[in-house]
Amino acid sequence: MTATLRELWTFFRRDLSIARTYRTAFVLEAVEALFGVAMLYYVARFVDSPQLRGALPHSESYFSFSLIGFVFLDYLNAAMDTFDRSLMEARDNGTLEHLLVTQTSLPVILAGSAIYPFAASTLRIAVYLAWGAALFDFPLREANWLAVAVVLVATLLAFSGLGIFSASYLLLFKRGNPAKWFFLGLSSVVGGMLFPITVLPDWLQFVARLNPVTYALDAMRAALLAGAGLHAVWQPLLVLLLFTAVLLPLSMAVFAWALRRTKTTGTLMHR
Amino acid sequence: MPEPAIRVETLEKSFPPARSGWRALLQPFEKPSVLALAGISLEVRPGEALALLGANGAGKSTLLRILATLILPTKGRAQIAGHDALRDPRAVRRHLGYHAGSDVGFYPRLTCRENLRFFGSLNHLPSALAAERIAHLAGQFRLEDALDRQVRTLSSGTVQRLSLARALLHEPRVLLLDEPTRSLDAIGAAEFRRFLKTEILRGGETTLLFASHALSEIELLADRIAIIDSGRLLASGSLNELKNRIGAASLEAAFLSLTGRSPRLPGEVTNEGAAQ
Repeated sequence: MTATLRELWTFFRRDLSIARTYRTAFVLEAVEALFGVAMLYYVARFVDSPQLRGALPHSESYFSFSLIGFVFLDYLNAAMDTFDRSLMEARDNGTLEHLLVTQTSLPVILAGSAIYPFAASTLRIAVYLAWGAALFDFPLREANWLAVAVVLVATLLAFSGLGIFSASYLLLFKRGNPAKWFFLGLSSVVGGMLFPITVLPDWLQFVARLNPVTYALDAMRAALLAGAGLHAVWQPLLVLLLFTAVLLPLSMAVFAWALRRTKTTGTLMHR
Repeated sequence: MPEPAIRVETLEKSFPPARSGWRALLQPFEKPSVLALAGISLEVRPGEALALLGANGAGKSTLLRILATLILPTKGRAQIAGHDALRDPRAVRRHLGYHAGSDVGFYPRLTCRENLRFFGSLNHLPSALAAERIAHLAGQFRLEDALDRQVRTLSSGTVQRLSLARALLHEPRVLLLDEPTRSLDAIGAAEFRRFLKTEILRGGETTLLFASHALSEIELLADRIAIIDSGRLLASGSLNELKNRIGAASLEAAFLSLTGRSPRLPGEVTNEGAAQ
């Protein structure tokens, strides 16, 4: 256990050291976040009405509703993109085969490569919300932070499975997974990110209810905006945990199979 | 009789044919039909240095990569320090140092020290010991001035030396080197060979299996030489044994004769540095 934690820390320290060489990127991202938040605020001012507010679950304004949807999309992207990107970078800079001849196991290599990107995404969410709270009256006072943290972790775990599937596809076929883009595109429409799913036609609402993004967003808004505790968000959390329980081990097994296949065909480092 | 440090038994490897376009999507599932290794068997004793000599595409790198657990064999067995590369790859990697003969494989925006510390840690090297080993190897490979520079700012030869330092960092019992001096200049290559000979091989605790086209390197480092062609082991033995077996005056002549390659053209200058 201690050895595994040390290995995970090693990966985090590696990525932090690399990120520190791009110092201006931190500043630029914070400024970019401010522009994003300002844009949402003024769109919200333009469209906000008592009627609209009444239709938004857990939210008192369209700004707070849409800001959470907006930053959540970033989180979803991180969960699904991280494994692909880590794998592609390792392949391109030639470190992949050197990682695979170390004594560190494959699951630790995968998990370790994801820690920093996930932490950076969490920090990015915090920056967005901080801008919103500091300049545009985003209501952070109501938040139940324990529930927020649990929902975030459950979301990451649930969607990491899809990210690992995607990395397996990349490993095997040397190109991006079209299913990932389809899922992200579909989720941006039916996930309830910028509008409530009640505005969708019935059949799309049915699709939305099959999509874990809908549950994750609902739980996040409830915890962050309405101060809902774990007892109040247990249903969407359960859906996320079920997704995790099925997808994570399955995706790890598929990745291990894809790696084995790649070692058989000798295409590990092929692009 | 001690157990061999490396044992390869009737090892076979075939790859699926390379495809392009949409057919590349089918490649992972295609039947392997391109033969790379055709039943090679060999053993390397603890502390021994065995050189793999063969033309490009002979199967040397494939053999090394199977032993490094990066490629799975089609048939046969490969063992390092008594551990099977197929069934127990993690145990194999515990005893292994691997250098792929290229000047890539590092994080370009990290310094040499950070890169070495990272890979040392993944090989379970305690921090204090890692720092000690990094300092020692930096001295051996003339890397002191480069240690705190980002890898992206270094020359190809320096990165190659860094790669060799990484392979030796956790003091592996078995060292697999694939054309280890390919990107080094003459001085760097000579220093590296001297380092291997005096620091690594003299102690008799490290076993070396390396592929090389540089005949002078093979003659200097190898206790035995295995000549491979088209995935087959044609002959193995000490330099003198190989020369005596076919009455050749040099390793180059022995290699050309055993592989059935054309003899030198009349008047052609001998190139002692390269086999082909």
